[in-house]
Amino acid sequence: MLSYVLAGLGLGSIYAIAAGSLVITYVASGIFNLAFAAMAYAVARFYYFLLVEEDWAIVPAAVVSLFVFAPALGMFLYAVLFRHLRLRSTLVKLMATVGLSVALPPLVNLWLEQPTDPTAPGLAPRPLATFQVFGSTINADQLTTYIGLVVVLLVGVGLLRFTNVGLKVRALVDSEALTSLSGTSPGRVSLGVWAASATLAGLAGILIAPTAGLSVGSMTFLMSAAFAAVVAAKLRSLPLAVGVALVMGVATNVVQKYIDPSSDFGAAVVPSIPFAFMLLFLLFYALRGQAGDLVAGGALDRAIATQGGDPTVVSAVTGGSNRRVLNPAVIAGVVIVGIVAFLPGQLDRFWSGLLAGGIAIAIALLSYTLVTGEGGMVWLSQITFAGGGAVLAAELVRNQGWDPLVAVLVGAVFIVPVGVVLGLLTIRLGNLYIALVTLTFGSLIQVLVFGRDPFYNFGSGQAMPRPEFTTTNDDFAYLALIVFCVLAVLIVNVRRSTAGLAMSAVRFSENGAKTLGISVVQTKVLVSGLATYTAAVGGGFIAMNAGSTLPDSFNPAVGLIWLAVLVTMGSRSIIAALIAGIMFVVMPQVFSTYVDSDYADVPVILFGLGALGLALHPEGVVAQTGNNIMRLFGRRKPAPVTQVPPGTPGASGPSAGTSDPALLTPAARGEAATITAGGQA
Amino acid sequence: MTTSESVSVGSTSLLRVEGLAVRYGAAQSLFDVTIDIPVNGTLAVLGSNGAGKSTLARAVSGLVPSCGGRIVFDGKDITKWSPTRIRRAGLIHMPEGRGVFPGLTVLENLRMALTTEKGSKEECLERAFTLFPVLGQRRRQLAGTLSGGEQQMLSLARALMVSPKLVIADEMSLGLAPKLVDVVFESIGRMRDAGVAVLMIEQFASRALGFADQAIILQRGSVTWAGRADEAGEELLHAYLGGATAA
Amino acid sequence: MSTALHAPEAAAPDTGAPRLEARGVTVRFGGLVANKDVDLAVGSQQIVGLVGPNGAGKSTLFAVLSGLLRPTAGKVFMDGEDVTGTSPQKRAARGLARTFQHPELFSSLTVREHLVLAYRMKNAKSRIWTDLLSFRGFAKSPKAEDARVDELVESLQLGGIQHLPAAGLPLGSARLLEIARALAREPRVLLLDEPSSGLDVRETEEVAEVLKSVVRDHGVSLLMVEHDVELVLGMSDAVHVLDFGVKIAGGTPAEVRRDPAVRAAYLGEEIEKPAVQRAEAEIEQGELA
Repeated sequence: MLSYVLAGLGLGSIYAIAAGSLVITYVASGIFNLAFAAMAYAVARFYYFLLVEEDWAIVPAAVVSLFVFAPALGMFLYAVLFRHLRLRSTLVKLMATVGLSVALPPLVNLWLEQPTDPTAPGLAPRPLATFQVFGSTINADQLTTYIGLVVVLLVGVGLLRFTNVGLKVRALVDSEALTSLSGTSPGRVSLGVWAASATLAGLAGILIAPTAGLSVGSMTFLMSAAFAAVVAAKLRSLPLAVGVALVMGVATNVVQKYIDPSSDFGAAVVPSIPFAFMLLFLLFYALRGQAGDLVAGGALDRAIATQGGDPTVVSAVTGGSNRRVLNPAVIAGVVIVGIVAFLPGQLDRFWSGLLAGGIAIAIALLSYTLVTGEGGMVWLSQITFAGGGAVLAAELVRNQGWDPLVAVLVGAVFIVPVGVVLGLLTIRLGNLYIALVTLTFGSLIQVLVFGRDPFYNFGSGQAMPRPEFTTTNDDFAYLALIVFCVLAVLIVNVRRSTAGLAMSAVRFSENGAKTLGISVVQTKVLVSGLATYTAAVGGGFIAMNAGSTLPDSFNPAVGLIWLAVLVTMGSRSIIAALIAGIMFVVMPQVFSTYVDSDYADVPVILFGLGALGLALHPEGVVAQTGNNIMRLFGRRKPAPVTQVPPGTPGASGPSAGTSDPALLTPAARGEAATITAGGQA
Repeated sequence: MTTSESVSVGSTSLLRVEGLAVRYGAAQSLFDVTIDIPVNGTLAVLGSNGAGKSTLARAVSGLVPSCGGRIVFDGKDITKWSPTRIRRAGLIHMPEGRGVFPGLTVLENLRMALTTEKGSKEECLERAFTLFPVLGQRRRQLAGTLSGGEQQMLSLARALMVSPKLVIADEMSLGLAPKLVDVVFESIGRMRDAGVAVLMIEQFASRALGFADQAIILQRGSVTWAGRADEAGEELLHAYLGGATAA
Repeated sequence: MSTALHAPEAAAPDTGAPRLEARGVTVRFGGLVANKDVDLAVGSQQIVGLVGPNGAGKSTLFAVLSGLLRPTAGKVFMDGEDVTGTSPQKRAARGLARTFQHPELFSSLTVREHLVLAYRMKNAKSRIWTDLLSFRGFAKSPKAEDARVDELVESLQLGGIQHLPAAGLPLGSARLLEIARALAREPRVLLLDEPSSGLDVRETEEVAEVLKSVVRDHGVSLLMVEHDVELVLGMSDAVHVLDFGVKIAGGTPAEVRRDPAVRAAYLGEEIEKPAVQRAEAEIEQGELA
């Protein structure tokens, strides 16, 4: 028993370091750092480079990695990225950190190359010494982990409690505006916080590498577990985060005393413990109504804050006024669909197969267009609904002998209640919590369903044939394109219908909508139901294209990249969904075929950088795909600016038109009026 | 930090705001606002809710960006400066509401105010606790758990401890019992007597007018009246209770 | 101003009870009392003003009346029926509409779409579901709807901006749109939270005209919070004054203007300066004149 607890404490210590770092950066900067794992990997990879590849001794390698490289990385990221995220919406913040987590590891690998040996040494000297503690054995790696946590806690608490630096950090957490009014620069304090955070990320990464391996995957798992602790602490409480992290580490190990982790049941239960923890806490907070959007700072900060930079808002706005049947967007859409429709005949089997796969993903991406683009909710579980659609359709084909196409279209209906229930459970949650709940839900389903037999089947999943009339890649691409177009028309109809108006209403002002007589519950059920159906159909098509369900392709981590690519393209545009889907599948293949297999990761980096660009210029990314293409050629089109005609009430204040009106909500950019409005009798 | 005594510019202006325009937040914008506060001068900014008083204060202290006009403080153009830099130049803004860090203790709140101070911090703290003994008794208590009046005293202490050139007091008496309002005015008066210039914002005017030399009235973001404080009463009732006087 | 601002069927039978009534409404947030035992009634075709200094609890009271906030104690009635526990949607269905101090607009919708949505919520609520299957998103909107929306657009002078999204609107336009949206719902009781802030003098007058005409011609009752006291005193049949969450005065505009408690609330304390006293005297004279 004791040995399980001791091992669990080691794991828990690493969780605790990660959780503590996440909490501090969140409260100090309002950013939930989904790129924590990527930062951990980058520093751990650098340490490995110094220690193993350059043959440095442990101490100098650790010192340089943790106290030179890591802070430099943190400060660099603050300067180029996090600094710009402060006033952005939750969606942009999340997508930018997703972009970073996607782009950073391959960038590091381009520089230092993929590590040859994933089993990396930690901070303890090799060969590992072992010690006897009360009859149990612990090794030197575990010991350094405990020491690591104790040192971090002592130094961290000491810094925060007893030094001027710590005082400034805590002041910043309380109120940024008041901090600056006290003569302390919030920017400098944040810089320090991010530097420290990168050091902690690096420490966690180096410590976990010996047991979990030096790979992005293992770091990501570490991060998910830390997320659970952070959520349990309601994103704010440092002691609670550290405590829950330790308990979780111990629980994960102690459970293994009673449940054999190599058994079927154990294989499902053990990895799902952090997710189950997290879901429990979230639902608990949700039901108690304690999980609204965190409002940073005090009353003063709120008074001077503007909301801005949500690409879906901006695109909703710039696209919103165009309701004519024949407008540029429709024409561009027809042209692009035409080009895509023209392609299958021109491509060989391999490429048209990829194209079909891209269109299938585009169908699934349409669900984000609905839920995030129209509904403004950051759901990260759409890929899980897609996977559900795929698995269920495969079952229906195999066990009931249904036609594959019917199985996909009808099977998707059965996935809808799952999405609706999730939507109802999260109805009172703030956007960041919704994102975390849906991501956790996805991870849980991945572990408990997709990752288990009979669904997993050594990673190839179950067979999922194509309909008989579309066995060739060309034919299947056409079928997928037709279904895409039908769903697209449906979505356009929804957008223009009363329901679409009501969705926008609920999204932008629940109070305004309620007092107009619109039911928020009804509207959210509608959005989540439609989006879930679309995702499930997309999943069915992805599986039909591949010929089997391929459960790993429905991992929520992949879903994050889906969303990042889509948001980069334009989260509200249907054409953007089509292009994003195709690019997601085709671009990596283009690079590895025509450029160099060493650069196979470049598209991934580009996807990531695209999402990062979102943080810096949300107004630029919004725009339709056309603008994106223009930018590729360096001819940047200015972001469309809403023109208020002269004579508009309140429009002619002395300062009209001097700042960016498209980014601000009416509440944020009003001005008292001195008007010459066209009078009337 | 220079104390106000060492400023030798005499009657020239310490803070001059020229044609300030701010476009920020609903119903809080400013149009072409001009004010002038001489060294050791006191100005009351009056006006109803939403007239733009707090926006003026925030623009001067750098919290919100201006989109037109110029702010000159102590001979330097501070229009584009950060709040941090403006604070370091000797301008203290005591914001509306409770200008304290609720998650820090009383002592820590005071220490935060002293981070820019070069002289003896102990002396400054002593001064604060002498002025407001209640803060001394509660130095280990979280500021968020203090009563409204005590929080306001803490906010005042943060300014009184150091020697600024100008303080902006934004609605310091809002929601306080009359006796505590007395304390607030007494404290700001003490600063004035020590040579500090004061920009005072009040919705409830008569106390402020008794305190200040000059006054302006803001209405819908513009200065509708400016002049000597003791002549403002008439204008003010006109602004608050409507144009019956003009009828 | 348009005479067809309001559809005729909205004029409802008079039950004798006030259209909207608050009895003993108390709201506490933790230790803070935002409203304490507030009574207030809005009769049929009445314009009632609610004034008070910043932080007096006016917006809280509005939230209680419109159903966005449950009072700690006290009741809200519509036409004599207790609606304290009902949702904002139900109250909207009973004919209550409101505007907000900080406009609660739907950023991505155009000005016109705001009105269309409000109109449909009153007249064609089921379209939320039926539109999905009937593909009416692509169809032309019904004539009656167009006509009604056109009227509102015209009477509140939104014509020049009706196809612009709400997100870019200046505050003045946003106010007018909020009022138009509330009217599109064809309410019987309309709550207005600071309808004139952000408007200039001329727009304020025009809005006041529109509001008076809905009251006069269509039997709508108005309750408005307004910091432009002149506007409120000039328009209202009755005025209530809140200070620190308590109703300190209530009555006709003339009574309220004279009430010393009101002056004290607005100026912080009793006024002693000769200049101010002179001003008071002038106000009284002006009122008599």
